[in-house]
Amino acid sequence: MNAKRNYKNKEDDIFILALESSCDETAASVNKNGLEVLANVVSSQVELHQKFGGVVPEIASRKHLELLLPVIDEALEKAGLEFRDLDAVAATYGPGLVGGLLVGLTAAKAIALSLEIPLIAVNHIAGHIYANFIDNPQIKKPLICLTISGGHTDLLYFEDLKGYEILGRTRDDAAGEAFDKIARYMGLGYPGGPAIEKAAVEGDPQAIDFPRAVMADNSFDFSFSGLKTAVMNYINNQKQKGKEIDQADLAASFQEAVVDSLSSKLLEAVKKYDIKSVVLSGGVAANKRLREVVEAELKEVEIEFYYPSLELCTDNAAMIGAVAYYQYLDRDFASLAISADPSLKL
Amino acid sequence: MLILGIDTSTDYLALSLLEDNLVKAEYNLSLKRQHSEKLLPLMEELFQTFAIKAQDLDAIAVSIGPGSFTGLRIAITTAKMLGRIFDIPVKGISTLEIMAAGQRADYILTMLDARRARVYYSFYSRKKADFKTDLEKKLNLKELYQASSIKIEQLAELLSAYKGEEILLLGDKTDKAAEILKRENFNVITADPENNYPRSAVLARLGRDYINLGQEDDIYQLKPAYLKKPQAELNWQQKYGG
Ligand SMILES: [Zn+2]
Repeated sequence: MNAKRNYKNKEDDIFILALESSCDETAASVNKNGLEVLANVVSSQVELHQKFGGVVPEIASRKHLELLLPVIDEALEKAGLEFRDLDAVAATYGPGLVGGLLVGLTAAKAIALSLEIPLIAVNHIAGHIYANFIDNPQIKKPLICLTISGGHTDLLYFEDLKGYEILGRTRDDAAGEAFDKIARYMGLGYPGGPAIEKAAVEGDPQAIDFPRAVMADNSFDFSFSGLKTAVMNYINNQKQKGKEIDQADLAASFQEAVVDSLSSKLLEAVKKYDIKSVVLSGGVAANKRLREVVEAELKEVEIEFYYPSLELCTDNAAMIGAVAYYQYLDRDFASLAISADPSLKL
Repeated sequence: MLILGIDTSTDYLALSLLEDNLVKAEYNLSLKRQHSEKLLPLMEELFQTFAIKAQDLDAIAVSIGPGSFTGLRIAITTAKMLGRIFDIPVKGISTLEIMAAGQRADYILTMLDARRARVYYSFYSRKKADFKTDLEKKLNLKELYQASSIKIEQLAELLSAYKGEEILLLGDKTDKAAEILKRENFNVITADPENNYPRSAVLARLGRDYINLGQEDDIYQLKPAYLKKPQAELNWQQKYGG
């Protein structure tokens, strides 16, 4: 691209179009100066994947290709801007499903080349952290962020975009995946998180004692496979004995075990690191029981607690655009040769 | 009229620039799976070489497959964005047709690997007597069979009506197909390697011809010719029907 370029600075208004297509949401946003969201358009494919009980990568990729252009159009229209008004274009380049990532990233490259504006490649996980700053710009750092969804279970320590590290991840299923699998097994439908939460409302969380994974090496990693097996065994045993299963109790007890595993690791990390706030993000962060438990425990240790609004919890492009703004100020631009990285780390 | 041809449907990263009747540039790079990394930098280099800008383009021709699903989406996404930003016509062209349109034989069978002993194929005639529509007459090409996939062993049955004709085989698995057809006494010939892939200059020329005939695509509807449902969908149908 052209070298004779005048980039804007902090004092100027900077408009960034961001694209997100790493999983099953096709999303485009326009952000002004990072945290001011002028448009945040998300087209969800949930219904398309429902019958499979999980996201099918090839089906998702096909849909991203169909939806991306209309979603971009809608974002620009809502923001009241034209392509030529944009200062940069951003896209998620990982982690995620490679086929979907490539659609959004390729579109961003084509836009960057066409308009001769910088391309900004954003890490999806950083996006989930910044989703919190859109709703609550006053959040104090350093912070600990727990990102939980169908695609991630990441416990992170975060100072700024250049200083963050992963404390723990899942060793098997992501938290949201565990919800999806158990919900499918219980016949509650997809996506599993909201389905189980709904079924658990009238149930007793102490009814069934499910195991909580303990890591032998004392790490902050998570594991949900043991719990998943325990729930499936419980269901099969009850069936074999001809006993009726109380769906509400089962859902509530399973949910409690997941919430327990997540919140206990989070609290351990809070005690170990010198931080000012804790933020939750990702689709599973919408779980009310989890919020309740974490909120109560953080009150005791006087740490501020935030979680984003629902539309910023789940995958969206506004959070990508927020990160992109700070990368723009750092002139952290990507080359047109960048490729998607499905297993991108922080 | 300045037309950009983009093809990422096969192992070839193919990019060309056609100005009216003049091929200004043609890249056909057998790079396999690097299309995502190489396409946009190559476009940038092409524009710089000719001191043009993306906004100088008048039309885009893009191959829509069949081919690698992921590969197809790279070129098509790029074409859609250029079409949208500069409000220029975009035409999607079958990869099988690009191969056939670059040849002069009367009957042409073009094939692309569909794995598991299958090929995606289409069958074309260049005989004037076969042309019915104005479009066929102007393009000097008629697609006799709609593109589909077939077991390579079944080609003889498919082409039985053309046993007496000379048929040019092009694309993937031509040696295997020639062997099968010769065994059944077909009159087949194969192409030299420099003609045996979809050339991007042919794509750009076809795009120009279609667009001049008013046959541009709606970029919002434009999608790959996958010719195959996602595997998960096929599995689901097998299990639950429908
Ligand atoms: Zn996510």
